[in-house]
Amino acid sequence: MAIGAQQKLETYLGMLRARLRGLGNEEVNDIIEELRSHIIDKSTENGELAAGKVDAALAALGNPEELASEYLTDAALARAEVSRSPLQILAGLFRWASLSVAGFGVLVSSLVGYFVGLALVLCALLKPFHPQSAGLWTFRDRSGELHLSLRLGFGSAPVGGHDVLGWWIVPVGLVMGSRLVALTTLFAGWCVRLYRKSRAPKQA
Amino acid sequence: MKVQHDQENTDKWEVQLRKGCLELAILAALWDEQLYGLEILRRLESDSDLVISEGTVYPLLSRLKLLGFLKSEWVESDAGHPRKYYSLTPAGKQRAQEMALIFKRFSLSMGRLLGALTKGK
Repeated sequence: MAIGAQQKLETYLGMLRARLRGLGNEEVNDIIEELRSHIIDKSTENGELAAGKVDAALAALGNPEELASEYLTDAALARAEVSRSPLQILAGLFRWASLSVAGFGVLVSSLVGYFVGLALVLCALLKPFHPQSAGLWTFRDRSGELHLSLRLGFGSAPVGGHDVLGWWIVPVGLVMGSRLVALTTLFAGWCVRLYRKSRAPKQA
Repeated sequence: MKVQHDQENTDKWEVQLRKGCLELAILAALWDEQLYGLEILRRLESDSDLVISEGTVYPLLSRLKLLGFLKSEWVESDAGHPRKYYSLTPAGKQRAQEMALIFKRFSLSMGRLLGALTKGK
């Protein structure tokens, strides 16, 4: 009986461990050992694990997939909440985006914010190396439609185009680009905090 | 049918209300002693009206730790396996006090407002 109970316990913890990938090793071990200790505490009868009690303890914890998802989401959000690092913020947002449309919207707008911000900074940095072609250009295509294009200068300048900012792209790109990255980080962090407040834990 | 629907809405509201209190309840349970997960669960069950799923409390403990409100240490037990004990950090104490004040103020003002509705019940 005890062997069956032990097996159930290990199978459950193994499934949970497999789904906690993405957290640090130490963190995963900590979680698994804490839950093992909890299940043993709840299921020990006369010094042995009782199969029925193990079943009840595992059922009370819920299925490993959902439990892992709670851990992963909580961890990603906690990190995004205290973090000022775009990478950790994005990791939190990816997690959130997999859960809701709002999360997906925030993820997409943050990606756009970071992308445009970085492109502006890059353009400013590359202007001295590609003075003829890097910059913010306007040009008309064959049908006469006006286009605005930020070019890093690796190709040729658009034919008949106008370099809107000229050398001003260097200060403007650096300031606006870094501001945009900072603003996007603030915006995403704010959304995550708002979401975390609305996302109260599940009740029995 | 309508009555059943109303009952469901009341239940949902009650669940939301309880959920909102869980973080404060955990910080309060750890106010002057360190406890391990199962003890926290039992404390919440016996001292508060919160019926909580175990699968909720452990990830929440983990998050409160990541946020710097709790710290934990493994302690060997008589049961033959170590247990993970949680206690409040200074930031956790401050957070608990702030939340408790807000909760107290809120429940006092709601109490005044609701006095007439529950008189004699």
